[in-house]
Amino acid sequence: MTEDTNIEQKLDDLQRQEGPLLEVKDLQVDFTTDDGRAVHAVRDSSFSVYPGQWVAIVGESGSGKSTSAMACLGLLPGTGKVVGGSIKLNGTEISHYTQKQFVTVRGSKMGLVPQDPMSNLNPVWRIGTQVKEALVANNMDVAHEKRSELAKALADADIEIKSEGDETFLGSKELPELIEAAEQALVKVGVTGDALEKKMAYFHSEWVPGSETRWRVADDLIKAGVKDDDAWYIAKKYVLGSTMNDRIAGLLDEAGLPDAAVRARQYPHEFSGGMRQRALIAIGLACRPELLIADEPTSALDVTVQKRILDHLQGLTDSLGTAVLFITHDLGLAAERAQHIVVMYKGQVVESGPSLEVLQHPQHPYTKRLVAAAPSLASQRIVSVEERGDDASALMEHKVNEDSLEHADVVIDVEHLTKEFKLPRRKEMFKAVDDVSFKVKRGTTLAIVGESGSGKSTVANMVLKLLKPTSGTVTYNGQDISQFKGKSLLAFRRHVQPVFQNPYGSLDPMYSIFRSIEEPLRIHGIGDKTSRAVRVRELLDMVELPESVMQRYPNELSGGQRQRIAIARAMALNPDVIVCDEAVSALDVLVQDQVLHLLNDLQTKNGLSYLFITHDLAVVRQIADDVVVMQHGRLVEHGTTDEVFLHPKQQYTKDLLDAIPGGKLELGLDL
Amino acid sequence: MTDITKPLPGQERYVAPLDETPLQTVDTVDESAPATSMWADAWRTLRKNPLFIISGILIICIVFVALFPGVFTKNDPNYCNLDNSLEPSRPGHPFGFDLQGCDVYSRVVYGTRTSLSVGILTTLIVVAVGTLIGAVAGFFGGWVDAVLSRIVDIFMAIPMLLGAIVVLQMFRTVTSIWKVVLVLALFGWVSTARIARGAVLSSKNLEFNTASTALGSTPTRNLFRHILPNSVSPIIVIATTSLGSYIVSEATLSFLGIGLPSTTVSWGGDISKAQSILRTDPMVLFYPSVALAITVLAFIMMGDAVKDALDPKSRTA
Repeated sequence: MTEDTNIEQKLDDLQRQEGPLLEVKDLQVDFTTDDGRAVHAVRDSSFSVYPGQWVAIVGESGSGKSTSAMACLGLLPGTGKVVGGSIKLNGTEISHYTQKQFVTVRGSKMGLVPQDPMSNLNPVWRIGTQVKEALVANNMDVAHEKRSELAKALADADIEIKSEGDETFLGSKELPELIEAAEQALVKVGVTGDALEKKMAYFHSEWVPGSETRWRVADDLIKAGVKDDDAWYIAKKYVLGSTMNDRIAGLLDEAGLPDAAVRARQYPHEFSGGMRQRALIAIGLACRPELLIADEPTSALDVTVQKRILDHLQGLTDSLGTAVLFITHDLGLAAERAQHIVVMYKGQVVESGPSLEVLQHPQHPYTKRLVAAAPSLASQRIVSVEERGDDASALMEHKVNEDSLEHADVVIDVEHLTKEFKLPRRKEMFKAVDDVSFKVKRGTTLAIVGESGSGKSTVANMVLKLLKPTSGTVTYNGQDISQFKGKSLLAFRRHVQPVFQNPYGSLDPMYSIFRSIEEPLRIHGIGDKTSRAVRVRELLDMVELPESVMQRYPNELSGGQRQRIAIARAMALNPDVIVCDEAVSALDVLVQDQVLHLLNDLQTKNGLSYLFITHDLAVVRQIADDVVVMQHGRLVEHGTTDEVFLHPKQQYTKDLLDAIPGGKLELGLDL
Repeated sequence: MTDITKPLPGQERYVAPLDETPLQTVDTVDESAPATSMWADAWRTLRKNPLFIISGILIICIVFVALFPGVFTKNDPNYCNLDNSLEPSRPGHPFGFDLQGCDVYSRVVYGTRTSLSVGILTTLIVVAVGTLIGAVAGFFGGWVDAVLSRIVDIFMAIPMLLGAIVVLQMFRTVTSIWKVVLVLALFGWVSTARIARGAVLSSKNLEFNTASTALGSTPTRNLFRHILPNSVSPIIVIATTSLGSYIVSEATLSFLGIGLPSTTVSWGGDISKAQSILRTDPMVLFYPSVALAITVLAFIMMGDAVKDALDPKSRTA
């Protein structure tokens, strides 16, 4: 038996022996509307989480996945109420708990990592203070023998755990003495030269005050060759418990924040999104809960940051023996991280089971649909309705298209584009876009991929002539767009249309859908009242929305529907080029898939060219012919989609591809 | 030893029966719900608000009285006969007579028109001027905003009543109610301007403006078609609530004797005249004061209701 399976076997035995940590049975959650009606947000849902296990709940927005998790924590918002079923934590029924009773389990037994790192830290308190709050609120309840046992099973440590002093942390005051003692002990047992240096470097990195415990120090020393008795003598002498500040720094360090002691004294606004999420993870794990509930913990973050944080969280929860219940809309993420998956739809669990099995062989039609829509690196470019006609010739036809790519004429030509912004209180200019050149060929899609701050949206705005470039040119059909003024500008606007990211912001809430779609026709003075109405109907039909939405207002439509309205508006003037700035990023997988297919069908039908800005490489795979990868305002890699995905040349592109959750897993094998 | 490939108890593969979890088409439009605009939504909230119903009925009555005072009294408010001085009420003269022998009831009825026209006219001017200046400041920003904002600050620093007294002192001979209206507007536009500037600033940065620019719309068109319509709700709220305060200010100025001339029937003037006989005949002071209080209360309540409807975030539930 190999070491790996050995650990798994031990863990499995322990889990079977312990029984589920969290057991939810036939849970029902109702919300009461203003007029007193009950809305069933969660119906008859059952799932369980075993100690040390990662369980994922997936589903679209409004499917009840967050509501189920929040019900377990007693944190239902507004009028939400558990009206049926049971929630058992460690065998104790908690669904009927009062808020006061919940306080005793929250933090100490169950931790929460909330979704939005931007709004979940109090801006007026230092990060350290907020971690301290979590510790103080739970009286620093940090002794969990059971959890340490699990941690041991996971770490495959064979030493006896001394229960006394198990949670005694190393203090920063004693650290130098401990290091010195450790060095002497090593010298005593005859470790010298390179080996000694290596060991000492390891101790320096591992022994973090406030995070390292006595038994782990002893364990490290024993592993390094120090005799048991000596090791325990040193550990007991120098590991005497830490101060609160050490503990805070230790927790932040565990969550992966470098320079934790300094960082703890900073305020949230000095942190990036990823760092804030780490601070929230530190807070969630501060009291060593047995269960961590993570509500879309990394959805707001870039993929590479997401990967780093999740890797770290996984290492951390494994070593602490914490179970994680995480909510996500990303199937790849669930497949990659969770052992067990729960699929929710309209408040009900439609399918659950081992995550890979469920996602590779989905059985419920909804899961099938979800899996089919989920973009992954394994997916192919979407083929339009016409091309889908008959399979064999469709593939041929697309091949032909690809061949003709080389010869296709250029619609948008961007050359040496640079944009500098002045930063407040700073002398030097900030280069948001630095010498970027690319060409969009007629009838094709060029995707610009990059993480936040890579300058991709700035490029889009310059191509749309909404921002003036500092230097460089954008030409449309051979004409420099900076020369466009008045009439020629209006003509340019007519041919190059945008679809923006935020489907909630890009439609005027005061305008009916009819007026919104009609607006471009009015601005350009096209047609009269009746002919415009006919055109709006045509456009609605084109984006597959019923005519009845014309009288409605944006607040009545879903994000996907609004995005389709935005596409209809962009199509109103029969443009040649559509610039999609993160047009599908805010949408659920199924809706995203629908919009992508729509965009693709429109492209084939009308010969449109797209400049598609996104952070999601999997989406790029589905829609783009050419890809430009941007980082820190510079163009890193440029090539056809296949080239970039199959043979990435730059390290950054490789990192991006590696970071895609579940990128290498093939889902929906029998679809 | 157990088989680790076997799922843990309670975590076996589960697929919900399809008839219990029917599948719906992706992202369908709910066509059953009635279409609503922001205004329709606001109206629905308002309709259910008792504050709105009460103040609405009051305001309708007040406006009706102001428009058709003749329906309520046949007596001329300016017909005063000293023989009737401080006479108690009698048929046809329900509130009795004041010191000059004028019918108190008819003076209260006719005073409604004065108060209401001052309130409404002032509000109209304030909204027009304040919105324009505020919108220009917010929309253009830069030095235009800097200059206009400083002017607003200067006016803010002058207490409205004090300023009005000083200015009205200079025009004692003018008898029109426009005198009071313009003076109140002169010192009243600043708060509306501030609010309009804030509203324009926040809606200027919303994405739909960029979207319309990219559709070919010009900045001025954006201002009138998108930014202003999206900024009206806070302006409407402040307009309704301050209408009542203008009525009070007019009454105050008339009470001080520098507002409307004594020939114009107004509640403020009547209260002023009645205070000298407060001990002998308090009812003469009582009626115009109550009329004033009810009117102001009605408008302030209306303002609150409108605020709840248009800006649900500020609701004090």
